[in-house]
Amino acid sequence: MKFSRLYLTFIFFVLYMPIFYLIYYSFNSGGTMHHFESFTLDWYKEVFADTRLLIIVLHTMIIALLSSSLATIIGVFGAITIYYAKHRWKQTLLTLNNVLIVSPDVIIGASFLILFTIAGIQLGFTSVLLSHIAFSIPIVVLMVLPKLQEMSPTLIDAARDLGANEWNILTKVILPYITPGIFAGFFMALTYSLDDFAVTFFVTGNGFSTLSVEIYSRARQGISLSVNALSTLLFLFTLVLVVVYYVITQRASAKGGQK
Amino acid sequence: MDDRVIIRFNHVTKQYDNDLPVLDDVSFEMERGKFYTLLGPSGCGKTTILRLIAGFIEPTKGDIYFHGKRMNNVPANKRQVNTVFQDYALFPHLNVFENVAFGLRIKKIGKEDIERKVKEALRFVNLEGYEQRAIHEMSGGQRQRVAIARAIVNEPDVLLLDEPLSALDLKLRTEMQYELRELQRRLGITFIFVTHDQEEALAMSDEIFVLNKGKIEQRGTPKDIYDEPVNRFVADFIGESNIITGTMIDDFVVEFANQQFACIDRGFAKNERVDIVIRPEDLELTTVERGKLRVRVDSVLFRGVHYELCCYDTYGNEWLVHSTKKADIGEEIGLHFEPEAIHVMKRSGGE
Repeated sequence: MKFSRLYLTFIFFVLYMPIFYLIYYSFNSGGTMHHFESFTLDWYKEVFADTRLLIIVLHTMIIALLSSSLATIIGVFGAITIYYAKHRWKQTLLTLNNVLIVSPDVIIGASFLILFTIAGIQLGFTSVLLSHIAFSIPIVVLMVLPKLQEMSPTLIDAARDLGANEWNILTKVILPYITPGIFAGFFMALTYSLDDFAVTFFVTGNGFSTLSVEIYSRARQGISLSVNALSTLLFLFTLVLVVVYYVITQRASAKGGQK
Repeated sequence: MDDRVIIRFNHVTKQYDNDLPVLDDVSFEMERGKFYTLLGPSGCGKTTILRLIAGFIEPTKGDIYFHGKRMNNVPANKRQVNTVFQDYALFPHLNVFENVAFGLRIKKIGKEDIERKVKEALRFVNLEGYEQRAIHEMSGGQRQRVAIARAIVNEPDVLLLDEPLSALDLKLRTEMQYELRELQRRLGITFIFVTHDQEEALAMSDEIFVLNKGKIEQRGTPKDIYDEPVNRFVADFIGESNIITGTMIDDFVVEFANQQFACIDRGFAKNERVDIVIRPEDLELTTVERGKLRVRVDSVLFRGVHYELCCYDTYGNEWLVHSTKKADIGEEIGLHFEPEAIHVMKRSGGE
């Protein structure tokens, strides 16, 4: 008991240490990451004074919200289609879906780059949005499908029996039932889109950039602690997202569990 | 055509791919306002009949008529029929009130009417005051009632019940049998009840259809079915009974267990091989000298109301006896029965 707790603490310490290290030095007035001089918020001021950076943040948010919303809509209908597909088809569709999730981002990014070039789509906002939607759809499907499969098929019979047409069945039975799965899928897609680097790196261009790509290129240019400050902010934002997601799911299960 | 007939099946067959038909050329009529039971072992096609009536599936061959109109291609949501499902199929995201109101809301009925009808339906099933409860807060028996209320609130002509009592414990099940029968009387609509429990069928129905392998073996009142089963399958399925083969010597004379007995059946060919049914409660324990049959007691079970004795005669036939008198294992006893207790059946239907 004692040992396992110690072990867990150690593991989490190792996992979180680099992040806290980075956060720690974002408050360093010394300008390097090996000698802490004194506490300062200059780097944060620099970040907020940088309009180019703020525009990139805005772009990242827009891409994330738009791509995850669209991917959720498409993914939900995709999941429903898979749910209704005949058995043999179902397996094939599911496998194709899972392959997309496990295949390396680099390959997906490179293939999107080729596709967009052939299709003559200019690299920039559209190409990034399209690729984010594309890699988010399988995630949404994966989150929604278990909820669908958990639903008893007699529910649909019952709805039909009570006079519901296909539209009523979808809006009054299926969608309310899978709502928790839809939320989970949306948030997963949101976080995937926010922190995606590899795919975006390939398909971005024309002056358009997202936060991950920007941080990468700044970190390459040389050491500036404003990168640390930016990363810290991003980390905090992700933390907020996780908390929001947690609260939503808690509330949903509390509603389902007791009222 | 008789306007009391509400449902008519005309040579209906249901077959999936090239498998054996689930329902094989079945024809019957059902009248309005009666309590029907479809009884049979699992896989006999009883649920298939229910799903055909509800409209969830279409017949492969044959026609289904409602009020004399052909309904084969009318989808489930356009039929004046409602179903109580085996697993109740209540919507978990809606509370009791909204579950019952589901059908009414789809019909776009006014708010006050919905309120009034739902309240009335819930009162019918003794669930007043449960409107705002969530489904998972209700017990099995209560869910059952919600499912019934949700169906009857739409004022269907026919209520279909797909083994609705099978998930309940014994005490509740017996209670619900009374309630369902009472509900049917008060509503005056046709109930079609599917079950594999013969006691349930006998207790509740106006008429029973006994099904086996996609065919109707026998239809009739519970008393007909119990007292006059047409073949070995029906006799065996409806309650415990002694079924042995015998020979019809002449009208009113039958031979089994190497003896001839007087009976009340006739109309068989001379020396025709037949199946004989004698119900365990019709056999009476007596002394060896006074008994018509001489048997040895093999085992005795105390069943509460009576003892259940399992006996063998010298020819190896098994005799089940229900008696209030006790006998010892290994003891030789006599069995007495009246000529009316012997029921003779044609062999053709049996296997």
